[in-house]
Amino acid sequence: MIMNLHKSEDVLAGIPRLRRNLALVMALGAITASIGAFVAPERAWPNILLASFYLLSLGLAGVLFIALQYVSNAGWSVAIRRAPEALAGILPIASLLMVITLLGIPSLYEWSHADAVSGNHLLQAKAGWLNVPFFVIRTILYLSVWFVFAFYLRKFSRQQDATGDVSLTRKNKKLSGGFLVVIALTFTLASMDWIMSLEPEWYSTIFGMYNLSGMLLNGLAAIAVVVIILRRTGPLRTVVTDSHLHDLGKLIFAFSTFWMYIWFSQYILIWYANIPEEVVYFVNREKGSWTIFAGLNVVFNWLIPFVVLLSQWSKKNEGLLLKVCVIIMIGHWIDLYWMILPPFLKTGPEVSLWEIGPFAGMIALFFLGTFKAFAQANPVPLKDPLLVESIHHHS
Amino acid sequence: MSRRLLVNVFQSDQDILNATKAARENGYTIVDAYTPYAVHGLDKAMGIRPTRIGWICLGLGLLGAAAKLWFQIWTSAFDWPVNVGGKPLTSLPAFVPVTFEVTVLFAGVGTVVAFFLVSRLLPGKRPKVVYEGVTNDKFVLVLAEEDASFDVEKVEKLFAPFHMVKMEERVEED
Repeated sequence: MIMNLHKSEDVLAGIPRLRRNLALVMALGAITASIGAFVAPERAWPNILLASFYLLSLGLAGVLFIALQYVSNAGWSVAIRRAPEALAGILPIASLLMVITLLGIPSLYEWSHADAVSGNHLLQAKAGWLNVPFFVIRTILYLSVWFVFAFYLRKFSRQQDATGDVSLTRKNKKLSGGFLVVIALTFTLASMDWIMSLEPEWYSTIFGMYNLSGMLLNGLAAIAVVVIILRRTGPLRTVVTDSHLHDLGKLIFAFSTFWMYIWFSQYILIWYANIPEEVVYFVNREKGSWTIFAGLNVVFNWLIPFVVLLSQWSKKNEGLLLKVCVIIMIGHWIDLYWMILPPFLKTGPEVSLWEIGPFAGMIALFFLGTFKAFAQANPVPLKDPLLVESIHHHS
Repeated sequence: MSRRLLVNVFQSDQDILNATKAARENGYTIVDAYTPYAVHGLDKAMGIRPTRIGWICLGLGLLGAAAKLWFQIWTSAFDWPVNVGGKPLTSLPAFVPVTFEVTVLFAGVGTVVAFFLVSRLLPGKRPKVVYEGVTNDKFVLVLAEEDASFDVEKVEKLFAPFHMVKMEERVEED
């Protein structure tokens, strides 16, 4: 069983044409974003923010998945753990993108302009938190804390491949517990800083939870996509069974419904109370053709996954699960677009070069980076004490 | 009508799993298997088709949703219209939480009740333990002796590699 589970080549190295095309899309995306930042800053920066946040969420979801598995002492996922570890490996480049996004603060955030603040009592009251230096410090703080956790979780996991030391599992369990507390606090604050403060007069206390649920849902979908590709191209062919897919499918199904639950929880309180300063958020997002995005958001992130993944056989069906996961990953883009862009495009969504460029480039970067990170370690944690349980897992 | 049964007792989950597979491959009729805990893969080995209780769950959930939605619309818009904050009388968002809860209630409780009915686990039912050790450390596979050609010795030979502890013929009276 364990024979060909040792260090593998980058799966993309076996498909040079795909790798070249991905690199091309990435380069074109980067060029589009750079030109856009000067030619049409009001259009390009929100989309650069979206792409950076999306990529960062994928990396974080990888760490979060690993942490959840360690904390719950889960055995089933050990054989596929190198996939989320590879996702966690894109955190550095995603953090770099987020730092670059900071250059767009003047185009993105109303509160960064002194003249806008001086005439606005609410913004003055919030200036202690929403000011450029503190904003930059917080961003760097979030990114560094996440990186440290991701770095050590991956490091200990790989170290175990060589030593087989069980105490490394215990170390990772402690780290994971800490990470769960830290991510709940920091990701809440980070999503409020980066996205909610785009409309600095609006607030929603569930906003962090909402973003956390979307991040985890999208991350689970991405992990499933990566696992299925690795199963089809070879490195995990003998390892991943229908039972693993079944469990991934169950998690995706559950978190899709959780996302919907949180979406509605935010909606109904604001809808019921009908207070102008709160309700303006949904009023702006249901205007004109924004309604279409509002509907697609729910259909892509919940309705399709819920209906398709309701039965057991569909969760075990590799091709079907892959399709649903791709739909969720598009759905998460719609979700973020619907959150980020309305303050900039009052009349309705527009899909142009400024939207497609950064997002396509980021997706290409995601696959290039993830598979490169995956190839840096053994395809499965060879000496994890729970590996045997995972390989013989039966859902 | 009565039927003759052959009760086979094993010592481990792996043994009963292999014995069940062998029995099915050789065309014996498997009445049931009794184990102290859930043995993974046993349902497949026995050739049981997937449960249809999920459809009952879905149907009851939809029934709960429809019934509660209708009830809320009827009470708040027709039977006793109340203006809440100037919102339309039939405001669907306001009805969603309760509709959701009742969907879950109908689907959840209904599925449990349906399960008890289907498996005839009604109140007052007396336990029928097929073999004493089955609640502790023994695994029991029951075969039906369908006709005169059923040969106990053949079965004994078939199960020989699986460390059978005991084999017993019984007649079940209805």
